[in-house]
Amino acid sequence: MKAPLIDAQSLSKVFPMGGGPVYALRDISVQIAAGEYLTIRGPSGCGKSTLLHILGCVDTPSSGSLRFDGREVGTLPDAARSELRLKSIGFVFQRFFLLPMLTAAENVDVPQAEAGVSKADRKARTAELLDYVGLAHRADHRPSQLSGGEAQRVAIARALANRPRLLLADEPTGELDRANGEHIAALLDRVQADGTTVVVVTHDAALAERAARRLVMRDGCIEREESGR
Amino acid sequence: MMRALAFAARSLFRQPGRTALGILGIAAVGALLFDMLLLSRGLVVSFRDLLDQIGFDVRVTATDSPLPGGVRLERASEAAAAIAGLPGIAEVVAMRTATGEVMRPDRKTAGAGLTGIDPGIRRPWTIISGADLDAATDPPALVVNQALMDFLGMPFGARVSVRVTCSANRESPVAAPFTLVGVAQFPFDDEAQITGVMTRTAMRRACGEQADDADMLMVASSGGTTAAVRAIRTARPDLVTVTNEQIVARVQTQGFTYFRQISAVLSTITLLFGFLLITVLLTVSVNQRLAEIAALRALGFSARRAAIDVLAQGAMLVAIGGLLALPLGYGLSLWLDQILKAMPGIPAAMHFFVFEPRALVTHAALLVVTALLASAYPMWLVARLPIATTLRNEVVG
Repeated sequence: MKAPLIDAQSLSKVFPMGGGPVYALRDISVQIAAGEYLTIRGPSGCGKSTLLHILGCVDTPSSGSLRFDGREVGTLPDAARSELRLKSIGFVFQRFFLLPMLTAAENVDVPQAEAGVSKADRKARTAELLDYVGLAHRADHRPSQLSGGEAQRVAIARALANRPRLLLADEPTGELDRANGEHIAALLDRVQADGTTVVVVTHDAALAERAARRLVMRDGCIEREESGR
Repeated sequence: MMRALAFAARSLFRQPGRTALGILGIAAVGALLFDMLLLSRGLVVSFRDLLDQIGFDVRVTATDSPLPGGVRLERASEAAAAIAGLPGIAEVVAMRTATGEVMRPDRKTAGAGLTGIDPGIRRPWTIISGADLDAATDPPALVVNQALMDFLGMPFGARVSVRVTCSANRESPVAAPFTLVGVAQFPFDDEAQITGVMTRTAMRRACGEQADDADMLMVASSGGTTAAVRAIRTARPDLVTVTNEQIVARVQTQGFTYFRQISAVLSTITLLFGFLLITVLLTVSVNQRLAEIAALRALGFSARRAAIDVLAQGAMLVAIGGLLALPLGYGLSLWLDQILKAMPGIPAAMHFFVFEPRALVTHAALLVVTALLASAYPMWLVARLPIATTLRNEVVG
């Protein structure tokens, strides 16, 4: 059997707080195959974003192990995790977090430049990605000149810039109206169909239902897993 | 590195107003720092320039006193001739000083500082009009500075009465006649000082003295100061030699220490202000961009890369502000120099603020160190930024 892209075993996350420790994740195990589309939903505070952050190597578990493509990454030093994120993981945020002083094209260029891609290759890849998300005509526009839906499409293009194996999206439609949310959902479908593993955290049941595999969380645990569209 | 700088520049200038104010603040701090550096050695450099300008590099006195007015050197002509004959000596001039009163035809008098000198090739003054001292002039020649010329208001060739006070307890019996021959610029005169110079023989006669003594012998070396001093000490171990370097060193540790201390204190305070200004600017900027920085970190920017971005912003602020500080500081130094030179007793040709290349290097080095130190805290904030918590707080907020 082919090894999963993500193999998380017994992940727990505890936040020490003044009033006593808060258990954000309790003994969660999940495996995600390459090319899979997985959504995670649940009520606010159930730990879905914490799980996403740990899967994306921006946070470390209090206990448990996390393997990415067969390699233990839960205990990697910060610099190695940054390198992993840069080259293998793409992030899409609820609030886009595009750099306001850069154009759409420059925002897509930034992670590639950071990864040391040549200028010519960056230019071609940026044009390709903006075309992919349907914003080639907005390449020279700043984020302030884009609608919310357009900004999120640029953010998806940016997340795909270094051809990541895993795309993580945290409430990608949370700031968008229905039409734009539908547009983003369709784009994520397409990303997954093109071979990228996609994990989406969402409150939006319609978006969650688009994935073949769905986790429902409650109180830091996986309450149930659903599959099939 | 260029990419980091370009990225930092875009980050910095997204808030043009704040950045411009920050740069102006650093320029003001940098200008003050630059001026303090010019002040710290300005007087010393200026003093040395004046000494060098006179053309004599060794002074020979009877006692360990570099300035005129101490115990006089006896048989000065004989000593001057003996030293002039030594190898490595170009010229020796005997000199003595006195005070006196110069009287106009309308019997109005003015107090004057007087110098009696054996005219040689080199003169510690520069003639600006009329003629120079000539031992053959009768009555003896008198060269005056512009202030005395203005007081006298007489043409060249006119007779001037001078009462010379040769020592504190003895006054010359009568005023002696002199011939006004020229106006000169004396390097150590202040704006209001009244100065006249005559031959040493004429001064001695005006004083009614017979002794051939002088306050000092001024020596110009031809084979280097050190060799000249060695030769003089060997020939006349009873005399004291003082080089220009020694005079400068003595004045530096005595007279000018005050300015160096002021400069050091104000430089430190200025650097502290610069440090606080840059730290506050960068910290505010970082705090406003925490979520954005966390997002960049999530996208793969390393902590080191994010910290370098902050450092590059600090470096750019300081580089631009520091460059602006130079013309600003130079202009300010000219103004301050005029104010300080108005103090009584300061030679008109001396300057408090003197540019030296080393001041530029020190200025740049201090600003670089300040930028590094001031960037340390915001760099630490960025490097230690908890990515997940920051992103979560941004959404919850």
